[in-house]
Amino acid sequence: MHQRLSRPGVLLTAFALLASACGGTTATPSPAAPSQPAESASVAPSPSGPPTVPPGGPVDIRWYCCLGGGEAPEQKTVEDKVVADFNASHPNIHLTFEVVTYDQANGQLTTEIQSGNGPDIVGPVGIGGANAFHGQWLDLKPYIDKTGYDLSGFPSNVVDIYKLDEGQVGIPFAIYPSALFYRKSLFEEAGLAEPPHKYGDMYTLDGQQVEWNYDTARTVAKRLTVDKNNKDASQAGFDPKKIQQWGFEMQRDDLRGMGAYFGPGALASGDGKTVAIPDAWKAAWKYYYTGIWTDHVSMTGPQFESKDINPSDYPFFNGNVAMSENFLWSTYGVGKVDDWDLAAIPSYNGQVTAAFNADTFRILKGSKHPDEAFQVLTYLLGDASGDLLKAYGGFPARTADQAAGITALQSQFKNTVDWQVAVDGIGKADNPNFESYMPAYNESLGLVGSGGKYLTKWGNTAGLDMDAQIQALQTEMQGIWDKAP
Amino acid sequence: MAAVPIQPVIPREGRRRFGRPSLGKSPLARNEARWGLIFLSPWLFGFVAFTFLPIIASLIFSLTNINLAQDQPLRFVGLENFQRMLADPQTWESLAVTFRFAAFNLPIAIVVPFVVALVLNSRYLRGVGIFRTLFFLPYVIPFVAGILAWQGMLNLETGWVNEFLRLLGVQNPPNWLQDTTLIYPSLAFIGLWGIGAGVIVNLAGLKGIPSELYDAARIDGAGWWAVLRNVTLPMMSPVIFYSLILGIVDVLQYFLVPLVLYNGTGEPGGSTLFFNLVIYKQAFNFQNFSYGATLAWLLFGITLAITLLVFRTSRRWVYYAGER
Repeated sequence: MHQRLSRPGVLLTAFALLASACGGTTATPSPAAPSQPAESASVAPSPSGPPTVPPGGPVDIRWYCCLGGGEAPEQKTVEDKVVADFNASHPNIHLTFEVVTYDQANGQLTTEIQSGNGPDIVGPVGIGGANAFHGQWLDLKPYIDKTGYDLSGFPSNVVDIYKLDEGQVGIPFAIYPSALFYRKSLFEEAGLAEPPHKYGDMYTLDGQQVEWNYDTARTVAKRLTVDKNNKDASQAGFDPKKIQQWGFEMQRDDLRGMGAYFGPGALASGDGKTVAIPDAWKAAWKYYYTGIWTDHVSMTGPQFESKDINPSDYPFFNGNVAMSENFLWSTYGVGKVDDWDLAAIPSYNGQVTAAFNADTFRILKGSKHPDEAFQVLTYLLGDASGDLLKAYGGFPARTADQAAGITALQSQFKNTVDWQVAVDGIGKADNPNFESYMPAYNESLGLVGSGGKYLTKWGNTAGLDMDAQIQALQTEMQGIWDKAP
Repeated sequence: MAAVPIQPVIPREGRRRFGRPSLGKSPLARNEARWGLIFLSPWLFGFVAFTFLPIIASLIFSLTNINLAQDQPLRFVGLENFQRMLADPQTWESLAVTFRFAAFNLPIAIVVPFVVALVLNSRYLRGVGIFRTLFFLPYVIPFVAGILAWQGMLNLETGWVNEFLRLLGVQNPPNWLQDTTLIYPSLAFIGLWGIGAGVIVNLAGLKGIPSELYDAARIDGAGWWAVLRNVTLPMMSPVIFYSLILGIVDVLQYFLVPLVLYNGTGEPGGSTLFFNLVIYKQAFNFQNFSYGATLAWLLFGITLAITLLVFRTSRRWVYYAGER
């Protein structure tokens, strides 16, 4: 009797839980078409006057941060002010700001979306960070068309980065082209010419004009790698166990990014289901491995991880690395090095590719108020962009704002930097971007992404057969893709 | 003569409708019980809201296909996730990793705090308070910070451990955190950072052993080993049992150290791909809530089974002084 009575209760509870926990999930929301103004609770400012409070009260729009920066207290101060200014000037919308620290942001956004409680706007978020939520982003094209939003102010190749199978999922905001960061004094000390600043220029090595490619960079890097006895890596008697200065550091956050410096590409082949590692990427990975274990121009994994050798995030920040490829966002850490400058990325097979990062704000497909969310989005990319770019240390994607962006960047440093190198790097951006979507995106990142299995293993283990390693990576990733839903 | 089961005699009028016997309490007792429940209600509410309902929800999740990375509509999939789990080699590999580490780490996690407590309880030790504080201090420090400190100390190039070995003349000291043969000792070593609580519990247990028992044993001529074996260990068996249960639950849920040290990649060579890490990665990294919930239920089942087994064996080796 007792059991019979409790069973319906259990079933009811289970049903209620199922309904409440899963019913509202946006795991598979249907693509939201732009709502008609008549259906919308409030509309964009009418041409006849400022927006007014709609009868039902302002529409709530939630802005979620920080999948890729934006959580620092000084950044939050700016973000809070942007929200306050927006709310003051837009009585039809009530914008709220939700900060979740970077290490928790991915998991929490997953939970919010799965439980049907996703935010409206997410950002700033990079291409890779956004691809972790592939299929969840709103196609902005209908809203761009409806409002006549002008995209002509952005470099077209940067706009195209956001054109995916999901649609136009983003509008450029902050961009981070790559460049070669180098220390002038270390080149001078080694009696070497500084690397070229202009793409296509030759390098002067031992009085000869040679192409500025990765082979040349390797030769130069060996002369810039110095041990405790002041011998460089090209000299007999060099002791690789007692290196004090390294010649060259690749950008080692992501194997795909590392590959992109040798040539643009993606891991997904044409059918989107088969792993196909571009040859240029294989060459880049071998270059990285040889640089560590044979040429000794780059730090080993334990050296990179050691807080005594590399107390900052990237070795170049410590001053004991002569050349380092990195994105423009890494200027945040170079302040301690007072003689750094930017140079051209070396070429591979006659082609230069400067791997590219970009951050923007996106709207989730599950947003209940996409019109208002788009209104907020255009405010963040427009009126608020100056303050936000400054707070995030972002370089403006809008061409007209780039001169001011350079001035802002230069104001942070005493040494004069050739920022034109970075601007020229925009034209060398990798397309397809290395962070392009691939099946089982998050699981695949476990192999190639930051702290990923192979990146870590290659940095930690000498004597590996790299062809076999690359084949193992491909096989393992294919296994993950084959299981992907 | 066959044993006749004794039935409780419950007066007919005392039986309730659903067969539950009336407690026959007075109005005063009922009033007290009501107030007791009222005071318990915040905890009960918290338990239901934050423990019981999520448990039920996770069970429901395990029977559905919630996964952000797919385009299929939400649907009931029955035992599909459980079938996938059983066929997934990673399930068994990660369980094997977990059990291998448990076999290595559990004895250390039980024995070391006990031995340290024995030393701290020694009448020959001076400055017990200082040692007690020193052993407990690391426990107060956030464990993640402790892990990062250990990562530095075990670094191949600049770690203090290897610097010390080089001073002793070891030319090529080991790569503690990247060598598959050394990884479990290294992890166990890092785990000792947090033994402070275990030491305190053991010390409290040792302090609770009546001194008369030691006096009697010594009068009978028992030496140190005999006292330990015949007095201390039996009297400490409830504490050891408690430590063992917590240790089993902890080691089966081992997670934080490999996540911080290896970003959950399972390196080196898959030796740190612990089962609980797989659950976390499936649910929160790979956005596959349903499969993550399914794996969590397997871990729950395994933990429950082992715990029950240990409870059953406890009748043979745990001594409760108050028992008749």
